[in-house]
Amino acid sequence: MKPRLVWRMALRDWRAGELLLLVIALVIAVGTVTAISLFVDRLHQALLSESAHMLAADRYITSSDPLPPAFTEQARNRGITTSDVMVFPSMVFAGEDRNQLVSVKAVTTGYPLRGKLIVGSSPFQRGAPTTELPVQGEVWLDSRLFPALGIQIGDTVEVGMKALAVTRVLVAEPDRGGSFFDMGPRLLMHLDDVPATEVVQPGSRLNYRLLMAGPDAALDALKDELELAAGHRWVGIRDASPRIGNALDRAESFLLLGGLLGVLLAGVAVALSAHRYARRHYDHVGVLKTLGATPAAIARGYLGLLLLVGAFAIAIGLIAGGLLHFGIVSALGALITVELPAPGIRPLFVGALTGLVCALAFALPPLIHLRNISPMRVIRRDLGGTEISQWITYGAAIAGSLGLLIWYTQSVMLTLWTLLGSVGVLLVFGALALGLLRGSRLLGMQAASLWRLALSGLQRRRRENIAQILIFGLAIMLLAVLTLLRTALLDDWRAQIPPDTPNHFVMNILPEEAATIDSMIDTVSTRRGGTYPIVRGRVTAHNDRLATEVDEARKGSTDEQGTRLGSERNLTWSDSMPEDNEMIEGDWWPADEKANLVSLEVDYAREFGISVGDTLRFDIAGSEVTAQVASLRKLDWESMKPNFFLIFSPPVLSEYPATYMTSFHLDGDNKIFLNALLSKYPTVTVLEIDAVIEQVQRIVDRVTQAVELILALVLASGCLVLLASIQASRDSRQAEHALLRAIGGTQRLIRGALTIEFAVLGGMAGFVAAAGAETTVAILHYQVFDLPVTLHPLLWLAAPLTGALIIGSVGLAGTSKLVSTPPMQVLRG
Amino acid sequence: MNPAAGARIVVRAQSVNKTVPTAEGSLTILDGVNLAITAGETVAVVGASGSGKTTLLGILAGLDLPSDGRVWLEDAELTALDEEQRALVRGRFVGFVFQSFQLLDSLTAIENVMLPAELRGDASAAADARALLEQVGLGARTHHYPRQLSGGEQQRVAIARAFASRPSVLFADEPTGNLDTTTGERIIDLLFELNRSFATTLILVTHDERLATRCDRRITISVGRIVP
Repeated sequence: MKPRLVWRMALRDWRAGELLLLVIALVIAVGTVTAISLFVDRLHQALLSESAHMLAADRYITSSDPLPPAFTEQARNRGITTSDVMVFPSMVFAGEDRNQLVSVKAVTTGYPLRGKLIVGSSPFQRGAPTTELPVQGEVWLDSRLFPALGIQIGDTVEVGMKALAVTRVLVAEPDRGGSFFDMGPRLLMHLDDVPATEVVQPGSRLNYRLLMAGPDAALDALKDELELAAGHRWVGIRDASPRIGNALDRAESFLLLGGLLGVLLAGVAVALSAHRYARRHYDHVGVLKTLGATPAAIARGYLGLLLLVGAFAIAIGLIAGGLLHFGIVSALGALITVELPAPGIRPLFVGALTGLVCALAFALPPLIHLRNISPMRVIRRDLGGTEISQWITYGAAIAGSLGLLIWYTQSVMLTLWTLLGSVGVLLVFGALALGLLRGSRLLGMQAASLWRLALSGLQRRRRENIAQILIFGLAIMLLAVLTLLRTALLDDWRAQIPPDTPNHFVMNILPEEAATIDSMIDTVSTRRGGTYPIVRGRVTAHNDRLATEVDEARKGSTDEQGTRLGSERNLTWSDSMPEDNEMIEGDWWPADEKANLVSLEVDYAREFGISVGDTLRFDIAGSEVTAQVASLRKLDWESMKPNFFLIFSPPVLSEYPATYMTSFHLDGDNKIFLNALLSKYPTVTVLEIDAVIEQVQRIVDRVTQAVELILALVLASGCLVLLASIQASRDSRQAEHALLRAIGGTQRLIRGALTIEFAVLGGMAGFVAAAGAETTVAILHYQVFDLPVTLHPLLWLAAPLTGALIIGSVGLAGTSKLVSTPPMQVLRG
Repeated sequence: MNPAAGARIVVRAQSVNKTVPTAEGSLTILDGVNLAITAGETVAVVGASGSGKTTLLGILAGLDLPSDGRVWLEDAELTALDEEQRALVRGRFVGFVFQSFQLLDSLTAIENVMLPAELRGDASAAADARALLEQVGLGARTHHYPRQLSGGEQQRVAIARAFASRPSVLFADEPTGNLDTTTGERIIDLLFELNRSFATTLILVTHDERLATRCDRRITISVGRIVP
């Protein structure tokens, strides 16, 4: 067919309203995806930038040796902003007798590249953000150093050979997280003052960092370009804080899953509308063929028409998606406290390509199938309505979905499981739906006329109804999966960081202080963690092999920052297993155990090939101790409680001088308590990790908002599918109702029968949806989200009820015009 | 009855059989049909319901293929062509008039008549269509949609469309079947009048005795066979 004819055909069909449903479905597909994609893209960028605050940069390179100046130059050449940082432990002195071990951070202009420093003018007060830094000759100190050193703002302290004036209280720094055992109270100074301190000597424990901020592409390119030596480590948010990395990964998985469910639903709506459009064009094509249109011309013509309609729908969809997303942003303005970066061009591209793929994968097969319509149809109506090959329809839809899903998620795993779940469920749904329909026929034969009419209606359109149960079932299933996952994920996230999680750690407690400090903490906190003795020590041999040999042999396979067997570690002992630990192998020792036993963290043990029954030799305070490995434990690293790689049976360490550590929860209002504690016990070290927890919780909250929003959008797409599929059966229903009314059926009878028919259909769809959702959620929990598998009994009641309610009401709304159309109008055609 | 000697044969069927599979086994609809129709002839195919006359019409027009046998239309052997090629033959040589009119609801009268020419990419489609509608007496209703026209008017649009492609053979399936007697007669007059002026071969299937008697030749089908 000539382009002009296709254009006219499209115009005429549009005028006649024939294309409306298809266009609406495509617009919804494009609009939903564009809106989700725009919003997710912006929120994701915001989440990433917020997370970047935890690094004080987008990425950094760290090393124990000075970093080559060429790195800075190469980064700047790519338009990346950089800042140098040095971190090292040092003693700080105040006057004659006061000193404290601190973690010095020496910084220079630009620090922090992401996030802000919070400073105050007196200790233990909430501070305010600043863009300033300590100038040369000045230091800023952590609150708890003030009582520990007995100093005030304006006093002088000495770091190495250099005297520095204390000018501010450092309340918070963005990159304070990290391993809390390495973290002493902070002293912030200018990098240019470091040489004068003379603390940098051969053998000093130093950490050099080159902070970097810039576009992802530039950073990735830089990473490829730089020749990082074995001692250089490139750190991004996921490496720096596995906890935040996990939350982000889950959030991404979830947002993408939400997005792709939306696309699948819209795809179903597109397919339904296209099938209806094609069915209504059988006669049209029959006539065109008698007039000389060849099958190839028909196929070309309808492809052209689809592309034309698709382009139109995509344009409208992009605009609608953009508006919808602005609507969402402004509606959630009060909730979204992060500043959203400007939307990029990619979401629009995602939306447009989604529209095109939806049109080609879901709408093209039935339209191309029109080429096979027999021209004989014009004289024999019963001919030519041959159904399109299921292989083509489903094949194209599956191929299209697969392509889109992999593209969105960039995760073959997530895509495969979602798809496998959907396809498996479709097969099972088909069988289940057939069984349910057969059952309803048996019931219907014994029922009163209203029910008989309704159930025979279900039976008569058995093929369509199986398809509709599949579609409705799938839609409800997807919604159920989303709801269940959402609940599970949110509960999981919340449970990870309950409100009374210990947020302060007290270390270096002397044995004689332990009891009084515990009772002092109990006056301000209802939640104090266990108190553990700590002895420093290191492994010297595993069975007959020296630790130095083990580490030497491993050098090639791990970088210098990797775990070493011979590293000095915090060792503890206990007669009972810590409550959050899980026994993987072996047994916990009895409380009165006399033998030298040790229990290892399972990943640590596996890393060095240590098994239960092996012997480990330790160097503890200069003497040699041997212990047999009795068990392997799994730790919950996200619990924010003290965790130990190595726990000994009580007799091993009890003779060695130990310090104690404990943890407790302290509300922000009671912070002043730390002042009292540190004034009374200046030698203890307090770690405040409440800021870190607060940051994690804020990110989880953001993610929650996004998830809820996407759930709402997917719900809307689901309802559209319901309407589209009801529309698809409209024509045959209209003829039936007219006939029924012509032979005396009242509107009430027809409406009653329709109510029952749709409700039963919805109930059946809900039932199969429950089965499918239960299975898919179990698989997703297990495979993707790493959550325990649970059953949901309520789902089996809620899904059929929801199905009956939604499909019943939407069905009635969709058919109300059919019932009220005068029969004559229908019978006359 | 045989075609006049020496006249050009435009439609020919040779040993045409048509069987369709049914639940009870194969059902024979046409059984060894042979016929030849010459240019300019008007032929009525008559027979009881289910005798196979509509199936024969479809096969002669190239809308359907026989199970066995050969069919020629003008110089093309339809049974040797695929659907793609048969469509081109139909576009070039064949016009149709149907019992149920088969106008496209979404198109106006003139757009319906323009269709065949548009399919060929003919530039003068609109002018020709307007002239044809004038000829069938619908010059004032060119922009009406089929649903705004009566049955008789719709059939007149269909006739105008059938002649729009200047066919050499016009196939008509019960052209008066959906019309009352008076309207039916007017339609018959119109059909024969145009047929004459366009010098078309007319092959029609009908139950209407008056219509059959106006044709040059009558072919009677009974249980799939031509009654001699």
